[in-house]
Amino acid sequence: MVSTPEASTLPRGPGERRHVLFPASELPPGARRIVEVGRRSIGVFNVHGRFHALHNGCPHKGGPLCEGRVCGTTLPTDAYTFDYGREGELIRCAWHGWEFEIATGQALADPQVRARTYPVSVVDGQLVLTL
Amino acid sequence: MFDCDVHNTWGTVEELRPYIAPAFREWFDRGEVPGTRPAFPAAHRAWLHPEDFKRADAVPPGGGNAGSDYELMCEQLLDRHQVDYAVLTGDEPIEVSTLANPYYAQALASAYNDYLVDVWLPRDRRLRGSLVVAPQDPQGAAAEIRRLGDHPGIVQALVSSGAQRPYGDPFYHPIWDACAEVGLPFAVHLGGNAGINGGPTGCGPPTFFWETHALLCETGMGHLASTIAHGVFEKWPSSRLVLIECGIAWVPALLWRLDEDYRALRKETPWLRRLPSEYAHDHVRLTTQPLEQPRDRESLWPALADIGARDMLLFASDYPHWDFESPATLQLPVDWRSAVLDTNARELYRIPSGEEPTQAKEALVDGQHA
Repeated sequence: MVSTPEASTLPRGPGERRHVLFPASELPPGARRIVEVGRRSIGVFNVHGRFHALHNGCPHKGGPLCEGRVCGTTLPTDAYTFDYGREGELIRCAWHGWEFEIATGQALADPQVRARTYPVSVVDGQLVLTL
Repeated sequence: MFDCDVHNTWGTVEELRPYIAPAFREWFDRGEVPGTRPAFPAAHRAWLHPEDFKRADAVPPGGGNAGSDYELMCEQLLDRHQVDYAVLTGDEPIEVSTLANPYYAQALASAYNDYLVDVWLPRDRRLRGSLVVAPQDPQGAAAEIRRLGDHPGIVQALVSSGAQRPYGDPFYHPIWDACAEVGLPFAVHLGGNAGINGGPTGCGPPTFFWETHALLCETGMGHLASTIAHGVFEKWPSSRLVLIECGIAWVPALLWRLDEDYRALRKETPWLRRLPSEYAHDHVRLTTQPLEQPRDRESLWPALADIGARDMLLFASDYPHWDFESPATLQLPVDWRSAVLDTNARELYRIPSGEEPTQAKEALVDGQHA
């Protein structure tokens, strides 16, 4: 776990809550931080300047998805070639290594599998998570 | 009804002599063979069946090898069980894969293929042939597939499951390429566990024949995994792998394992687009014999149903071998019967329905129905 900041909460629409996390400037491109919001563990990522949040529980077997390696991978190919790409766009679950696209939660190897994502935005310089 | 594994052979291997290429006839006439002449020149496996591996009642009354007497084959199998089509898989020819000399191996395979087309296929319209190739000579095997693969009686290329390396390996891709070009499935039959080929298991040689025979599914596992992992079914979308006599009960477990490991380590094989089990469902076919026998027979099917095996299984009797499966006593789920006994093979081998031979013994002549 990278850190566990106190998340202040603000009321929003019915059933939704906005959680102010920490200043966006504390999460530069390529960085990731795990936050605890209520009873949930959530990974917040800065991928090439855009912020994303993923549930820190892998849809495969519940492992700490967001504590694995932020990485790239071999790109789809029609030949026996290995083209590395997407550096920094993927998270590899800490337990079994399944690859997920950070922005969408989509598992690369199986279209049926997707990790839960949360909307995250920057309000007055603060990262705000909507649950 | 299709029987997808029927073993035909010669009365004596001397019947092959006219078909041996001139350059190799001296090898055939004077070269070493296992045991005493006449014998087929191939390395013999180290596991000897203590009762020989043929049905005792299939030895022709006049002598000779079980599977060499066409009339007896009709009586015991084709007529008795109303077989519409029998896919002949030869007997010893797939053992050419054990020979170190790939050129002699392919010459022997080619001789068998000419013998098959010349002697067996004209006998009966129910008979379809498997083109035997020497996988240790991928270029020669590919040339053989292009030479004879478009014969209307030939339905697949055939190799042994004993191999130097698993069949998805790019070493063998000339064979896959030729199969795709000619439109033939690539079939792998139990056997060839001798000579230059790897052993039947990865932990050293087993001891007894029955022990080894039960373990021979392991080579089928290796070929199945390799063919999927190397992207054969992406590279040649029309290609089909047929595993003959390698068992079926292990297939769901292996596909589940392959799916799970692929999901984690997709990056090793970025040419794949789908889960291993999805490729298997669409591209891999498995013969049923010897059908595994759980204590409760019904418990065989749920796992197979999970991978969609109704679309993947082909009935086979393995006549005239010792582990023969009788179509009369075969137990299949009722709603699987027509697929496993007929339509899966019909689709695989591209034999339209309604073309059953009305006169069974009316032969294919010059490639046309007489």
